[in-house]
Amino acid sequence: MKRLTLYLILLVLSLSACKKIIDIDTKDAAPQIVIEGKITDSLIDQQIRISKTVGYSELGIYPKVSGATVTVSDNKGNNYVFKETSPGIYTNRMKGNPGTTYNLNITAEGAVYTASSTMPKKVLMDSIGVINNYFFGNERKTTAAYLADPKNEANQYRFYLYRNGIISKSIYVNNDRLTDGNNLRIQLFFFTDEERDEELNSGDQLLVEMECIDAPVFDYWFALSEQTGRGPNQGTTPANPPSNLSNGALGYFSANTYQKLSATVK
Amino acid sequence: MSMKYYLSLLLLFFSTALLAQKKFTLSGTIRDGATGETLIGATVKISGPATAGTLTNGYGYFAISQIEGSYTVVISYTGYTAITKTITLNKDIKLNEELKSTIDLAEVVVSATNRKNENVKSAQMGLERVDMKSLNSIPVLLGEKDVLKTIQLLPGVKSGGEGNTGFYVRGGAADQNLIILDEAVVYNSSHLLGFFSTFNADAIKDVSLYKGGMPAQYGGRLSSVLDVRMDDGNNKEFKFQGGIGLIASRLKAEGPIVKDRGSFMVSFRRTYIDLFLRASPDSSINGSTLNFYDINAKANYKINDKNTIYVSGYFGKDNIGVKDLFANDWGNVTATIRLNHIFSDRLFSNTSLIYNNYNYTVRLLNDVTNFKASSLVRDFNFKEDFQYFSNKHTLRFGINATQHRISPIDISVSQESQVNPLTQQRRYGIESAAYISDEWAATEHLNFLYGLRLAAFSLMGPGNFSTYDPDGNILSTESVADGKFYKNYFNLEPRFSVSYLFNEENSIKTSYNRNTQNVHILTNATSSSPTDQYVLSSNNIKPEIADQVSMGYFRNFDENNYEFSGEVYYKWLQNQIDYKNAAQLLANSNIESELLYGVGRAYGLELFFKKKFGKLNGWVGYTLSRTERKFAELNNGKYFPSRQDRTHDVSVVGIYNISQRWTFSSSFIYSTGNAVTFPAGKYVVGGQTTYYYTERNAGRMPYNMRLDVSATLEGKKHKRYQSSWNFGVYNLLARKNPYSIEFIDDPNDPRKTAAQQTSLFGLIPSVTWNFKF
Repeated sequence: MKRLTLYLILLVLSLSACKKIIDIDTKDAAPQIVIEGKITDSLIDQQIRISKTVGYSELGIYPKVSGATVTVSDNKGNNYVFKETSPGIYTNRMKGNPGTTYNLNITAEGAVYTASSTMPKKVLMDSIGVINNYFFGNERKTTAAYLADPKNEANQYRFYLYRNGIISKSIYVNNDRLTDGNNLRIQLFFFTDEERDEELNSGDQLLVEMECIDAPVFDYWFALSEQTGRGPNQGTTPANPPSNLSNGALGYFSANTYQKLSATVK
Repeated sequence: MSMKYYLSLLLLFFSTALLAQKKFTLSGTIRDGATGETLIGATVKISGPATAGTLTNGYGYFAISQIEGSYTVVISYTGYTAITKTITLNKDIKLNEELKSTIDLAEVVVSATNRKNENVKSAQMGLERVDMKSLNSIPVLLGEKDVLKTIQLLPGVKSGGEGNTGFYVRGGAADQNLIILDEAVVYNSSHLLGFFSTFNADAIKDVSLYKGGMPAQYGGRLSSVLDVRMDDGNNKEFKFQGGIGLIASRLKAEGPIVKDRGSFMVSFRRTYIDLFLRASPDSSINGSTLNFYDINAKANYKINDKNTIYVSGYFGKDNIGVKDLFANDWGNVTATIRLNHIFSDRLFSNTSLIYNNYNYTVRLLNDVTNFKASSLVRDFNFKEDFQYFSNKHTLRFGINATQHRISPIDISVSQESQVNPLTQQRRYGIESAAYISDEWAATEHLNFLYGLRLAAFSLMGPGNFSTYDPDGNILSTESVADGKFYKNYFNLEPRFSVSYLFNEENSIKTSYNRNTQNVHILTNATSSSPTDQYVLSSNNIKPEIADQVSMGYFRNFDENNYEFSGEVYYKWLQNQIDYKNAAQLLANSNIESELLYGVGRAYGLELFFKKKFGKLNGWVGYTLSRTERKFAELNNGKYFPSRQDRTHDVSVVGIYNISQRWTFSSSFIYSTGNAVTFPAGKYVVGGQTTYYYTERNAGRMPYNMRLDVSATLEGKKHKRYQSSWNFGVYNLLARKNPYSIEFIDDPNDPRKTAAQQTSLFGLIPSVTWNFKF
């Protein structure tokens, strides 16, 4: 809402606005552990990835962390041992269940990292579609996901949007704090680095993935979404998002449901 | 207890003055000879058996008491020809005088008599007065002359951003400035997200900015007071003036209601960017709106010698909208009724009844959503101010009570909307204050300005008030009935300034003052946003407190032609507010659970060199400063620079009167870039490059530098009318100043990260035509 207002102003007032690549002065930080783990409700090879950060100025080739001990236990008494199937990727073929709490325990390079996440009840998208917005005379095709939010319970959703196999750079995360119990149409604007809101064209293949996530994981994505695409001097001061992982690890551990739908732009 | 002690001490000083020798009072009102406008801050000086001097107050009134004798009275005001009179003070004397503007004399007159050493002598520190005449020639974005952009060129005042009217004073936050228009608080002083201010320069008579040493009659904000006063209106003849600019037009009408007794002023300004949009053949463009307008109106009437009544109001609105998609409007309303009553020649009083509100509405319209969110902050304010003129003392005292009502957000929707209707509980508070201060010319060399303000705040029912644990979960909720006091805060605010004059041209000054604040803005944007949220002090939010000490050296050269000042300050801030990472600020009834509380400190050096008269005049300002905050939950509990921490800030303003008709002016600014958080590392989550941050605000944006120029051509003099052209170029060097930086995967090598800077304004020319008749 605020962002839209700002765009309007910028559009009209600053036809001369311009962008350029500049050098900045920042220190490269020492490598930090990054853990990204998901348990979903599909019977698949569930993945826990362990890697490390690189400094700002370095190439984005992220060191994998091998030789870690990775286990997940749930509150029903099950234990799952994850095996390193390729460097830094630890897998176990299993299926998570909504309502179950999963506890992650990792020992990597002599340090212990733990996290816990509860898989929320599954809410399904009814469909996805393309809607037309008119923005200053231009027709904009936008992807939309349709779903019915269950009443009287807190729900959090995370979406991923792919166009022709390319993932959108935006972080789509919603909760039902202001929309509880309603039929929702959630607009997913496609973003890349070059374009704020890239146009969809006829024949584009769209894929939308939806996860129902728990509240701490929502906070993680919400904090990131508030920062992305704005950068310093605009919007919130960037900071590392609040993680449910212990011991200062970056990333998150999420037990979430999973659903995907695809469509073709007419 | 301590309040009583201070009061009795004050009265002791005061009564010693009363016990002295029998004195008579010279009092009166000083006005502009052409318009009848009262002159604020004109100097009245008498010499004879004794010497004394004073300044006219906010209503042009002055009073001086002295022993019997024959005196020479000199009345002067910058830009006006001084008047010299001889009086015999053997009874109380009324002296109402009108000064002639030197501007009408068709040459730049530098009269020795209007050179006063006020800046050196007065105990007041940190006060800047904007000369409304020089304002017209200072170049600005799109030629819209603006009070708030002009004060940003003064040392100690930092711009909220490129072309922005938001400002920071001595390390304070943007919401820590008390901005008052004819005594009414203006909550949001910006139009179009800050590119223009709500103050239409045509309707403004006087602007004073207190950066420090705040006199006790002001309170409620930590960092500064911007006291803006509207024109009263010409009480001699009907006049019209206006201007046509690139983005806005202005028209002002003024004239007598009853000649020499009462006058009115109405001023209107409107932008017309959307008229261009409307000309578009495209239906969705021509249905879009983007405008703002302002109306200032004022009337005054002198009922008799003892009573004058003033009624003034401001109404402004911004409208932004895209047809069938989105609409946002916001604006301020203020209304002030004032009665000046002169109890005796020495006792002047002003009673004010003030109303002000700020509101916004956001509408989202499309095939499934019909959404309207609105918010309101509304104040009723009663003020009673007295000013007592004694021989060596000017005593000010008064009381003030403000009732606040905040409606944080009301969401209404159509039946089929996906958003649920919501009415967030209103919040009620009463802010009251009593103050007393004394300006005391103790000796030829020593002047004091000292006082005390008692500020009380009460959070009132009805409402449910919750307390939270550190994770933001509700610990308890208390339901408070209508009209019941839920939480009270009392704060004593001592104010003290002293100046010591070595001689007429040299002085040192020092001051200490404490300020407290009970109305706070929560925002996660840098610039002012129409949807900024206001909160009152509560069981969770403690009143913000600032203590400031400052010292300065003041020097005039060459018969006051040059002014120099150097000031240093140190400021301690308590109960500062920030919010948690991942805070959900929008429409959140438990917003207070998302807040963090910390402390701050700010210190700096300000140098100011000004040439006041002559063909070439202007100033150079330099600020060296540091502004930091500390929150236990942020940056590992260590101090970090505030975003507006800019180490160096330089401004140079030059105005050159080349001939009677041509005036050239330019302003140059340089400042260190804002303190921002840059990534120190990176990683991938969710398939995206994500940045790792170590220290908060440890990085710097590139520096800002800009040169603006303008030229004013006065039209040939006509009996009936006068016109002028103003040509300006904003950012003459076309420097790409940083507005924001984003981090992206390098387009040439996606494994690398690139910092992409966005700049807002290149070189922007402007032209404005102004007229008067």
